[in-house]
Amino acid sequence: MPKKVKTTVEFEGRVSEILVDIPDIETPLWGNDAELDIVGHPIPRVDGDKRVTGAAKYTSDILLPHMLYGRILRSAHPHAVVKSVNSSEAEKLPGVKAVISAFNTDPIRWHGSSSLFDKTARLVGDEVAAVAAVDEETAADALELIKVDYETLPFVTDMEEAMKDTAPKLWPNGNVVGGKPSIYERGSVSKGFAEADLVIEETFRTQTELHTCLETHGSVAFWEGDKLTVWDSTQAVFNVRDALAAALNIPSNHVRVIKQYMGGGFGSKLELGKYTVIAALLARRTNRPVRLMLTREEDQMNTGNRPATLQHVKVGVKKDGTLTAIELKSVNANGAYLGGAGCGAPYREMYLCANVRTEEYAVYVNTGRSRPARAPGHVQGTFGLESMMDVVSRKIGMDPLEFRKKNYATVNQAQTNPKPYSAKLLDQLYEAGAKKIDWWNRDKSRNSGDFHSRKRGVGMASQIWGGGGGPPAYALVKINRDGSVNVLSGTQDLGTGTKTIISQIAAEELGIALADVAVDLGDTETCPFSGSSGGSTTAASVGPAVRTAAADARLQLFEYAALELKVKPEELSSRRGKIFVKSDPQKSLPFKEAARKAGNNMIIGKGFRGPNPDGYSLNTFGAHFAEVEVDMETGRVTVLRHVAAHHSGRPFNPLTMTSQIEGGVIQSMGYALSEQRVIDPASGIPLNMNMENYKPMTALDVPTIEPILLTQVDEHCNTLGGKGIGEPPRIPAAAAIANAVADAIGIRIRELPITPDKVLAALKSSVPSHKV
Amino acid sequence: MRAFEYFAPQQLADVIHTLSTAGGNARVCAGGTDILGRLKDGVDTPDKLVCLKTLPEMRYVRESNDGVRIGALTTLSTIEEDPIIRKSFPLLVEALYVTAAPQIRNQATMGGSICQRPRCWYLRGPFDCLRKGGAKCFAVDGENKYHAILGGHLCYIVHPSDSATALVALNASAKIQGSKGEKTVPLEKFFVGPEVNILKENILEDDEILTEIFIPTPSAGARGAFSKSRERQSYDFALASAAVQCTMKNGVCAEARVVLGGVAPIPWRSIEAEEELKGKKLDPKTIERAAAAAVRKAKPMTQNIYKVDLTRQLLSKSLSQIMV
Repeated sequence: MPKKVKTTVEFEGRVSEILVDIPDIETPLWGNDAELDIVGHPIPRVDGDKRVTGAAKYTSDILLPHMLYGRILRSAHPHAVVKSVNSSEAEKLPGVKAVISAFNTDPIRWHGSSSLFDKTARLVGDEVAAVAAVDEETAADALELIKVDYETLPFVTDMEEAMKDTAPKLWPNGNVVGGKPSIYERGSVSKGFAEADLVIEETFRTQTELHTCLETHGSVAFWEGDKLTVWDSTQAVFNVRDALAAALNIPSNHVRVIKQYMGGGFGSKLELGKYTVIAALLARRTNRPVRLMLTREEDQMNTGNRPATLQHVKVGVKKDGTLTAIELKSVNANGAYLGGAGCGAPYREMYLCANVRTEEYAVYVNTGRSRPARAPGHVQGTFGLESMMDVVSRKIGMDPLEFRKKNYATVNQAQTNPKPYSAKLLDQLYEAGAKKIDWWNRDKSRNSGDFHSRKRGVGMASQIWGGGGGPPAYALVKINRDGSVNVLSGTQDLGTGTKTIISQIAAEELGIALADVAVDLGDTETCPFSGSSGGSTTAASVGPAVRTAAADARLQLFEYAALELKVKPEELSSRRGKIFVKSDPQKSLPFKEAARKAGNNMIIGKGFRGPNPDGYSLNTFGAHFAEVEVDMETGRVTVLRHVAAHHSGRPFNPLTMTSQIEGGVIQSMGYALSEQRVIDPASGIPLNMNMENYKPMTALDVPTIEPILLTQVDEHCNTLGGKGIGEPPRIPAAAAIANAVADAIGIRIRELPITPDKVLAALKSSVPSHKV
Repeated sequence: MRAFEYFAPQQLADVIHTLSTAGGNARVCAGGTDILGRLKDGVDTPDKLVCLKTLPEMRYVRESNDGVRIGALTTLSTIEEDPIIRKSFPLLVEALYVTAAPQIRNQATMGGSICQRPRCWYLRGPFDCLRKGGAKCFAVDGENKYHAILGGHLCYIVHPSDSATALVALNASAKIQGSKGEKTVPLEKFFVGPEVNILKENILEDDEILTEIFIPTPSAGARGAFSKSRERQSYDFALASAAVQCTMKNGVCAEARVVLGGVAPIPWRSIEAEEELKGKKLDPKTIERAAAAAVRKAKPMTQNIYKVDLTRQLLSKSLSQIMV
């Protein structure tokens, strides 16, 4: 029996202590000098061909016999009592098979005290009723025939308005989540400000960002008797299974959730969606499979967002650049239902400072609910913090990069007993990035615009994030009689390359070719448990479990090889398709031959993720350097170069890691320059629920992104020596761009996105703009 | 999207017949890049959709002594690549190059580009606005960052077409076919502001379609330039644009046509700017005066004041290109 121990795990900034087993099969650390054939090599996606040829089946590709199509009727009002839903006309429409609402279904609890179809709508887009019909057009037509009697209520969409006593209340206890701010303090900021030579205050604002997953949210639900199978576009098949079983009051083993391929989640697909339950209810009522995919407009409206922030920052600094105090007071737009909002973590962790205080309000407003959005909190907070660090360094006449080095933290100060970072090479990232962008000669860049009307500038920003992963995560490795291998794990590949990395780890440990490994993920019935794919934790959580499972399977196979080679199993090793005697490598047997000897004696290796190390804080670091050109006449900002230096321990696959960095920077460029949800203040109706007016960047908009990967192994984090990279590249990019804009034009834009109107207004008045 | 009857006539006469018997409840579809979105968003709910793609004619660029004729069904990318157009009307080529994205230009047509409806998010959203026969313009007290600074009157849409802005500067004319026959009007007169008709952006009657654009041969010494500002560089409608066509004689601007896009309900011809240019030597001072004159009557709203400076700068930019 494996021994149970307690270990600390972190997910999206939340730290918890859990019970975990210590694996009894030891897999020693793959250190810097480990000779690896597959892991750490630039391996193209194992399923890339399927994705680009259309062979890959996404949720919206699932087509079942007699399948119906579901659509949701959503509230037209930001705050209203749903007094009645009359669906008689809709039900008469030929092809309509079911209409459900709060008035003909049992209530299902949702968001605490709310319900699936709540009789109070709290945002434009809240679920009011749903239809199943023979095709999507009929379902859409039916929605128009449903008559809803609303009693409209006063509403508030602006978070600062919502904090006022006079504001309409969304919930009985008021609009401030929890009734009070979340406060953190170490040392004493008043003491810190007193010690400072200079105290500087600034206010920064960030907009509401939408996840804009290329694949919208949606599910296909199919009942066989009392057993439900659901295909879902999700980052967490087990979360969905357990929550769905609870919502429908059926056992978990009556629910199977499958996710094969998906087109992005970015944090918005970490939980059970209402659409999934609605699809299941419609399927049960009609006794037919139901596919319910959200439209782009619905997806943008009500599947989550990165909440808007207001950040008042106050910093105390000595003339030599020593930070004496950092204080943040922030307001964060939580949306209508509890979603999680706050941006203080970078302020607490990034720089060495004895006196830090963060006071954060999350506020209910009648808009879409905030959800984790690729590095939640950190992206917003890093824009404020890193803009502020630039301001402070300029005020004291210190180079911004030198200033950051001066306040370098080596322990996690936010912990009660600060632990050292398991691997922090940020200083090396600073050097590498500065060299690549030619930081020390950036004055040359500033004066090199093509015309006098275009000014150039260079800016940088740093990043801290978790990404160490942890238990629980499980994997099975099966060796077939022909020597081919199946790996099963209940994790999911969001399009990030998880499947490829797992294939690499299994093939490496088994000592066989990548082509001989098939990986199956995202199925609650066939795969053992793994956690949700978020927090940049997947590779570092699941990878070690896969490796242990592979080691277990290999040991079992060695017993057959040992008989053949007439040695003891523990004398054997395997590499490049051969099992050989460690002391006499010439004495060997092909891996596939050993598998044939085992025949149908099933080899199933089992692995699980062991505990995280005591005594270290597992974090990832990065530094971005951007060069921009600002057209002083039109206010247009063009990113000319973007250098992104990152260290997450061993890169499992430099190709997928580079993709993550590029994708993160591209998303961030939209955040920095063009993306912004707009809500009509008078009606509460969102105005830009499309990609025309909500403006993500396209391939044509981005310059060559220049990633720098430090490959040094993190010797403490896990047996693979590597951590996550999904979120880190999103964190400093917008701040680096904003700092470059300030460098170029000499005026700081304190509010994202940096659109031409803001630049022109700033140039005209040099008074900062303050409109959200 | 409401169900509709779909027609794919083989002859123009059948198109006109279908339109004239539909009582205003028909829409035409050429490239479909605008109308399909309007149908899906419920902005238009016609009984009949008349496809023009099946018509054999109307896809051409033809040169004659007096100018060039472009069939209304010619795609924007065809026009952009046409050697005659490239030689004689660089202004139009510049405008097309920054219109939408290449994929859309492969599909969108000349006629469709000119007749597309405004992008105003209130018009396209669930708002009963003036342009839809409702009681008010929601942009006035609402989100009006993208709205008009010139020519607004009760309604503050901006005309979205880059090619229309360029073509008015080129003094193009439009051929219209209807049940009463054929007529040709200067393109400038084709568009109508909200003070004339708040429900539509041009003079087309329910039974009429645009069939051809004619651009007269530019006089000797003619030079044109087009500048456009976008929030997203790869593809986006104009925050503002400025099309300029001048006839230069010995460094003096003999004739000038200045048209602004993205700032008014119609492609906005700035007579004020033209007056500042005519008979003047095109130098930085003249340019500054003309650009200032173009926005002198601008009436910005709460969020679009930036368009005043932006328009002035874009016009300066276009004029400077001509000067060089």
